[in-house]
Amino acid sequence: MTSLTAPSETKLDRRAIAALFVRVGAFATIGAILIYFALFARGFTSTFNLLNVVEQSAILTVLAFGMTVVFIGTGTDVQKGGVDLSVAANAGLCAAVFVTLLNLGFSDATAAVAALVTGALVGLLNGIAVVVFRIMPLLATLAVMNIAAGLELTLTENTVVSASSDFLTFLQFGRVLGISALAWVLILFSLLVGILCHFTPFGARLYAVGGFLEAAKAAGIKTSFYVYFSYVFSGLCCGLAAILIVSRLSASTPGTGLLLLPILAASLLGTVFSRRFIPTIGGTLIASLFIGYLANGFQLLGISSYWVNGVQGGLILLVVAVTSFAKPAEGA
Amino acid sequence: MENVRRSIFRFEAVSNYIVLLAFAAVIVFFSVATKDFFTLENFLNVVSNKVVLLAIVSLGLTIVVAAGGIDLSVGVSIDLSSMIFIMLVAAGYHGVIGVAGGLVAALLVGLLNAFLINKLKINAFLATLGVLFIGSSVQRLSTNGGVPIYLTRGEYAPTFEAISRTSLLGIPTPVWILILCSVVVFLLLHRMVFGRFVAIMGARPGVALYSGVHVPREFSKVFIYCALLCGVAGILLSAQVKSYVPLSGDAFLLDAIGATFIGTALASDRRPTVIGTLMGVFLLAVMRNGLLLIGWNFFWQQVGIGVLVFVVLALSFGLRKREE
Repeated sequence: MTSLTAPSETKLDRRAIAALFVRVGAFATIGAILIYFALFARGFTSTFNLLNVVEQSAILTVLAFGMTVVFIGTGTDVQKGGVDLSVAANAGLCAAVFVTLLNLGFSDATAAVAALVTGALVGLLNGIAVVVFRIMPLLATLAVMNIAAGLELTLTENTVVSASSDFLTFLQFGRVLGISALAWVLILFSLLVGILCHFTPFGARLYAVGGFLEAAKAAGIKTSFYVYFSYVFSGLCCGLAAILIVSRLSASTPGTGLLLLPILAASLLGTVFSRRFIPTIGGTLIASLFIGYLANGFQLLGISSYWVNGVQGGLILLVVAVTSFAKPAEGA
Repeated sequence: MENVRRSIFRFEAVSNYIVLLAFAAVIVFFSVATKDFFTLENFLNVVSNKVVLLAIVSLGLTIVVAAGGIDLSVGVSIDLSSMIFIMLVAAGYHGVIGVAGGLVAALLVGLLNAFLINKLKINAFLATLGVLFIGSSVQRLSTNGGVPIYLTRGEYAPTFEAISRTSLLGIPTPVWILILCSVVVFLLLHRMVFGRFVAIMGARPGVALYSGVHVPREFSKVFIYCALLCGVAGILLSAQVKSYVPLSGDAFLLDAIGATFIGTALASDRRPTVIGTLMGVFLLAVMRNGLLLIGWNFFWQQVGIGVLVFVVLALSFGLRKREE
């Protein structure tokens, strides 16, 4: 008996130590990079710069939350489980809808609701494709991404469509209690999603569905509802992000689809900050702020922005390679 | 219960022919809608301009998907091969050296993928995603932020024309290259031991391991073959447009994935096959050409292609018998 349990226990210990090492290492690396920027990048630590990056990161973070919820609710194996490749294109489409309606003379509220509804509908289409037609999420959301990107182009004809309104001006320049409106949106939305995913029975069930679909089904959870929820919620995040994009740029611009890679990077890097390397809202928040500060620090140090993509890619590879050693082996 | 099962079974039979049905529907629709569509001239135009490059890339992706992987870095292989080829030709080297250099660049991308996936045990999606990021940085850094290299002066023309303008037996060289690639991949996947390894790794990775397949080695080959095929496509692309435009290869990724998976709908076991992939490429190319002829602009074409891919996948996956 002891001879059977002893080795497995030491193995477990070693893995726990490795996991702890990786997590501490991740925080230490981020700390070291930020300290380096603080010491050598002029102006990095000024309050203005720090807050500015938080505001800049709001859009990326909101979209990354959508992706994170999809990871939570449909599994983290990006090839077989869930991934929502349509987020960035969807946000572009929502921004186009928002701007078009504003320019047609509709009120802020109508246009904003229409943007959110558009996002949710695209999310619903993803959900239907995955649940009803059982298409692999990777493919389904890829097809939907094409459709959304195409619709955005037909609406805007690949041009910058500007728009302005009181509501947008408030989002752009407004301040409450000394903190800008964009930062408030980020803080409140993070709290909302964080509480929903981590402190409610609903969130626990969402994790259960994503973690092990069959077990969740056997436990009596209506799994398809949670899969639908993940994609529709991700769509809503796109709608919200679209409003933020339009307020920040005072326009909808082509090329929102390029955000997809940073979104994936933020959600995947975020897993390294959790105890079992699973997607969490807090982890995604830290990762996307870190990506924001990384780009900002590079800019202040005068390093070419052409490096940013490569560094993000290298970080993803590093994180995934290191965590795969500390993670318990799955299935095969 | 019996009834339900029987009706699903009949749907399943239909679902195997969904690609052929879609193909027939698309051709009939456009033949009726425009008179220029169903002509030999248009057919040749579609094949030589639209099909060749996408088909070669899709063949590479077919090998990877058949082995249960995915390669998001096809664009990097295409672009780096194109870049090195154009740079070598611009520096005055002989075209053969340029081609060899391009293929070596693509080979390096494949080796990097293989190393990340099989040595560092990174999931293929994430590994190739990382390579995609790094590849875009490499291209920006080496082209000063994405400045295209144009070689339209006469002195370079012979090299490019030897690749893209010549023909043999009335068939243009690029089409011959496509035929050659198709035959090679067909033999690899459907007539050789390696193809059996690929099939078992794709269907049941655990079984492959316990049957004595050297999984890391065979799985590495998959990515190297894919990168090499993309390298061929990259050289053809730059010879056709006489230039290297940074990050132009990424446009192939979505269509290649779409074509490969549309192709899986053709086989009853839903595995990628060479014939299926070529059918998928043709379907996409014909659709795009038809939409162009009936006067839809590029933006609506994208919506149309997206809807087509969605519907074909939905019918093919949705009508399939539920797996236990």
